[in-house]
Amino acid sequence: MSESNVVGQWVPATGAGDIVTGAARYCPDIDLPGLLTGKLLYSPHARARIRKLDVSAARQIPGVFAVLTQADIPGENNYLYSQADQPLLAIDEVRFQGDAVAAVAALDEATADAALRAIQVEYEVLDGIFDPLVAMKAGADQLVEGEDNIIMNQVYRTGEVEAALASADVIVENTYRTQWAEHAFLETEGGVALVDEEGVVTVYSSCQAPHRDRMQIARTLAMPESMVRVITPYIGGAFGGKDEAHVQMHAALLAVAAGRPVRLIRGRRESILTHVKRHPIIIHCITAATREGRLLAVKARAIADAGPYHNATHEVMNKFGEFIGGPYSVQNLEVETIAVRTNNPIGGAFRGFGAPQAAFVYESQMDDLARKLEIDPLELRLLNGVETGTKMYTGVVVREGQAMKASLRKAAEKIGWEKRDQCERQPAPHLRRGWGMATILKGSGMGRGLGDHAGVVLEMHRDGSVVLLSGAADMGQGIITILAQMAADRLGVPMSSVRAVRADTSRTPDAGSSCASRQCMVSGNAVLAAANSIRDSLLSVAAGKTKISRDRLDLRDGRLQVDSEPHALTIEELARRALFWGYPLHAESKYHFEYPADVPAGDYRFSQEVFQFCTQIAQVLVDVETGQVTVERLIAVHDAGKMINPGGVYGQIEGGCAQGIGYALTEELIVNEGRTLNPSLENYVIPMALDIPEMEMDVLEIPEPVGAPLGAKGIAESPIIPTAPAIRNAILDAIGKPLYQLPMSAERVLTALDG
Amino acid sequence: MSTPQYVAPESLEDALRIKSESGADARLVAGGTDLILRMRDRVFTPKLLLDLRRVPLTAISCTAGEMRIGSYATLSQILAHDEIANLFPALVEACRPFAGPPIRNRATIGGNIVNASPAADLVPPLMAYDANIVLSSISGDRELPLAEFFTGPGQTVIEPDEILTEVRLPLMPPDSAASFIKLGQRRSMAISIVNLCTRLSLAADGTVATARIVLGAVAPTPLRAVAAEAVLAGNDITTALLDEAAQQASRESMPISDVRASGSYRKRMTAVLVRRALSAAWGELGRNNSNG
Amino acid sequence: MADRDIQMNVNGLALKVNSGPGRTLLSALREDLGLIGAKDGCSQGDCGACVVLLDGQAVNSCMVLAPQAQGRDILTVEGLAENGVLHPLQRAFGETWAFQCGFCTPGMLMSCYALLSSNDEPSREEILTAISGNFCRCTGYQAVVKAVQQAAAEIRASSSGDGEQGRAPA
Ligand SMILES: Cc1cc2nc3c(=O)[nH]c(=O)nc-3n(C[C@H](O)[C@H](O)[C@H](O)COP(=O)(O)OP(=O)(O)OC[C@H]3O[C@@H](n4cnc5c(N)ncnc54)[C@H](O)[C@@H]3O)c2cc1C
Ligand code: FES
Ligand code: FES
Repeated sequence: MSESNVVGQWVPATGAGDIVTGAARYCPDIDLPGLLTGKLLYSPHARARIRKLDVSAARQIPGVFAVLTQADIPGENNYLYSQADQPLLAIDEVRFQGDAVAAVAALDEATADAALRAIQVEYEVLDGIFDPLVAMKAGADQLVEGEDNIIMNQVYRTGEVEAALASADVIVENTYRTQWAEHAFLETEGGVALVDEEGVVTVYSSCQAPHRDRMQIARTLAMPESMVRVITPYIGGAFGGKDEAHVQMHAALLAVAAGRPVRLIRGRRESILTHVKRHPIIIHCITAATREGRLLAVKARAIADAGPYHNATHEVMNKFGEFIGGPYSVQNLEVETIAVRTNNPIGGAFRGFGAPQAAFVYESQMDDLARKLEIDPLELRLLNGVETGTKMYTGVVVREGQAMKASLRKAAEKIGWEKRDQCERQPAPHLRRGWGMATILKGSGMGRGLGDHAGVVLEMHRDGSVVLLSGAADMGQGIITILAQMAADRLGVPMSSVRAVRADTSRTPDAGSSCASRQCMVSGNAVLAAANSIRDSLLSVAAGKTKISRDRLDLRDGRLQVDSEPHALTIEELARRALFWGYPLHAESKYHFEYPADVPAGDYRFSQEVFQFCTQIAQVLVDVETGQVTVERLIAVHDAGKMINPGGVYGQIEGGCAQGIGYALTEELIVNEGRTLNPSLENYVIPMALDIPEMEMDVLEIPEPVGAPLGAKGIAESPIIPTAPAIRNAILDAIGKPLYQLPMSAERVLTALDG
Repeated sequence: MSTPQYVAPESLEDALRIKSESGADARLVAGGTDLILRMRDRVFTPKLLLDLRRVPLTAISCTAGEMRIGSYATLSQILAHDEIANLFPALVEACRPFAGPPIRNRATIGGNIVNASPAADLVPPLMAYDANIVLSSISGDRELPLAEFFTGPGQTVIEPDEILTEVRLPLMPPDSAASFIKLGQRRSMAISIVNLCTRLSLAADGTVATARIVLGAVAPTPLRAVAAEAVLAGNDITTALLDEAAQQASRESMPISDVRASGSYRKRMTAVLVRRALSAAWGELGRNNSNG
Repeated sequence: MADRDIQMNVNGLALKVNSGPGRTLLSALREDLGLIGAKDGCSQGDCGACVVLLDGQAVNSCMVLAPQAQGRDILTVEGLAENGVLHPLQRAFGETWAFQCGFCTPGMLMSCYALLSSNDEPSREEILTAISGNFCRCTGYQAVVKAVQQAAAEIRASSSGDGEQGRAPA
């Protein structure tokens, strides 16, 4: 492949040079003259009334520049992800251990700590609400007076579920429990705020949605959005946990109050105690099938612990409901999704939005069903899997579904599924080996009915160099690299000619949040449109100059190509001529992801319609005396549509699998009466290098026909989704005992063995 | 964090003098991997930090029938030491899964002992090898069995003017084998749920002359399961006997529940892992005998 | 003893920091010397984002008191490239996508550098062990193994070759 053909190449990530030399600046690295340290004071209680809050002593401490309480907030005192119910600084009650009551800015960390200690808060500790099953009962103590603790109760129904259940040959019915899981992005949440010489409040923000942050900051400060600017420096991971704003508003409030720049970075403990978690959900699920294994119906009821505030609970539980049927052709499905308020940690966005919990259920159900029917798990899945043209229980017709079965077959081939029994199942008296698979689908994009658009600005200069302005936050997933590759490809220039600017609301157009695996598609399309219009100018100039018809011309390797042969005219010359003759080399485009006009039948509201399919197969070794599980092999076969950058795609898969192994086996926030008992990377146990097997990855490139730029669709979320059920099914295969609770800790495995 | 003074004296004499003058106000810092966290949490608020890194306390030597390890020897040093690997392999095994390389490059054997965590990984093998420790003060040295050092979590018999200067391991009699096992939630960077070390030394007739079963993380201090040892002592080894000893060790454990595991899991694992460790030691003795 | 003046040799330069003994080496590097490569991911030894070399050994700089570095050699990620020429490890990390967000990378690079200085042909297991104190949430460590092996091969090739030192322009 020729050099300039950058799409599909292992191009190093934009900014790699800064990262490997230590020059890359993340929020904690930003230093400014007069910079103050910001800190927040949090509630020590899960639920309490604030009787008295006295900050006067803290304000007297030399070196303390600002001490703020809710009374000092000029605008709206709340976050606004979906509903404005979470205060930035508590008003009269604290509702979980992560509620902040005061903010300080001081000369240095020690002084800020002293100020926090000098703040006097008198709490009246209230009985907390900690069990969603109790909280949802009629007459239960209300978390917010006058409001039901149930903040969501949605039923989606397709087909005739009860009739199908009645006619089924076999039924599998189980109750599942999932845990609070922590993102543990290595860079904790942070923001650095200053007021610039024009009075613009500028905030460096470690975030996923810079334009939404800008809106939130402006409404908190009661300033016009035109006077607020959000810049994303390098960002040390997010995984959904920085989708909602965190400390940006506090930093901005402090900077305005102190008249000096303020850097507010959460410590690790504070980070774990405060930001949202993957929801724990209790799911009761019934799966019905014919004797031959055809799925007839799925009926599920899911109760999620939302914590005290809405945050992304609706979005998460919507996705849970959308995917609970799995990548299967199920025509009768009913799912009730309930979310309940408690004084526990807040549930929110985390890679996959409810789909990992759903997959743990539906893929476990499939293996339990396979055992009951004595059908091979692979066969059962192939029998029921969706294909191109299948109408799903959501009413959505799968436009490109080959990858469902292709990924199953490929993964089975890679691990040697048919020959697995030739491997030793009991390599030592206390060890059992087993194999398990899980196959899933996850949509890319916001979903039908939700605005899903992104803008981009592209400009080529007279020397052929290009600037790409996109407001898509790059948290490490590599979006700006991919966008730059698309631009380079269309414009026929090398990657080194494209400078992609990190999101800055004063320069880059709104691209929405970097979530839901959407940016590659949505911003990708915007880049293609903008690049195509510049390309058009270049080709017009070239056609005029060479008198060769347009359809024989192309741009690559920094040159004009005629009939795929390099021509003497360089892109640089074309650019110079284009600018001289007034052709536009500046393009702005806004792409709006269009859902097909045919409204799917059924009551699903936010269905995604471009699907990432994938299959993972795990080989595990279980120590039946200790309950410890070792993942010996993990096969991951994913569909990316077209890989714009294999480095990024494999990176996402590998990282997602590692997170999935942790989610499956060890990761669990232990919460007792609203208190998190393990808020550290020591005790919230995430696999390290020696705990992860060599992953055997494969990527299918089945281009997506609609909406996917160059055939590429998102990949970000799917890798974490099948890992836990694949491991669960492998444990089942190894020990013959099913587990229904995450994580599958050694103790739980032992309990299952005892049972 | 509190801000104490910091001194790094050039000689042990200077250090002992400072320690005798300041007592508990002066705290030793070695690798700092426990101390810094305690200071940050304000558990310790020393006025003076005494760093003996300039004092030659890192030496490891084998003389006069014993192995001497300076208290400032790091885990990495021990891990790389061929003679220790030969003579006290279970000690090296305990170093291997200990934290990760950057911590092992700092953490010292002395710090692991004096910190007196019930889960300290080096203590079970050291006790299984009948280690003594040397506590030095301006008025002289005293040597005592490590097994007599601990009185509770973070509590020891060290006096405010004393410094742990050396760990001494007697050479094992022939026909000895020891085995260390750590149960943690991951392969590195894990505090032990249970750690333990067993040692068997056989008499000429093949019976057990000495048995050591030392349990960590299942009691307020590292614990010698003496009744379980007594099950083995003087007897011919059989699988059933090992099982019985393992069950007895489990009965002797008195674990608590915490975020890492429940007490009942720890108790159960004690039986499983003591049996494994004893079997491993026994297996090794069998191999040695058949080879020799 | 001038209690607060600490002299250290950082990336080959003799530097002095004026620092209270409660400070860590990490904060001295970042705040006093402006060397922001080493990161703070946990402040308590759990994550390895702060790893630097102290007299050639990888250490968590958040767990070293600044005065403990008195008179010693410190190498940080900023000191890996020479005269603007990247070390083979740095280049390999970029080429193999051994990171995504990059926040773990400075610490990860230093652990790998320490490994390569004593072992020029490390196995997968040896590399994983060397980075077993470095947490990365974005990758699964596999690409790091690939990067280290690629760099090791390059270093071996260049040291057996014409003494080119295995460096290439940044
Ligand atoms: C991330 C991390 C992982 C860890 N993993 C493990 C693990 O896997 N297993 C394990 O057992 N521990 C582990 N630890 C705990 C710790 O690293 C060890 O206990 C280590 O051996 C302590 O040694 P140090 O030199 O760092 O002690 P320091 O912190 O310097 O000292 C510890 C205590 O001992 C005192 N002290 C030190 N030396 C002497 C002396 N010579 N005389 C008198 N008093 C002295 C100090 O005053 C202090 O009270 C871990 C710690 C961290 C931060
Ligand atoms: S910051 Fe030092 S190990 Fe995490
Ligand atoms: S690349 Fe993000 S933590 Fe390693």
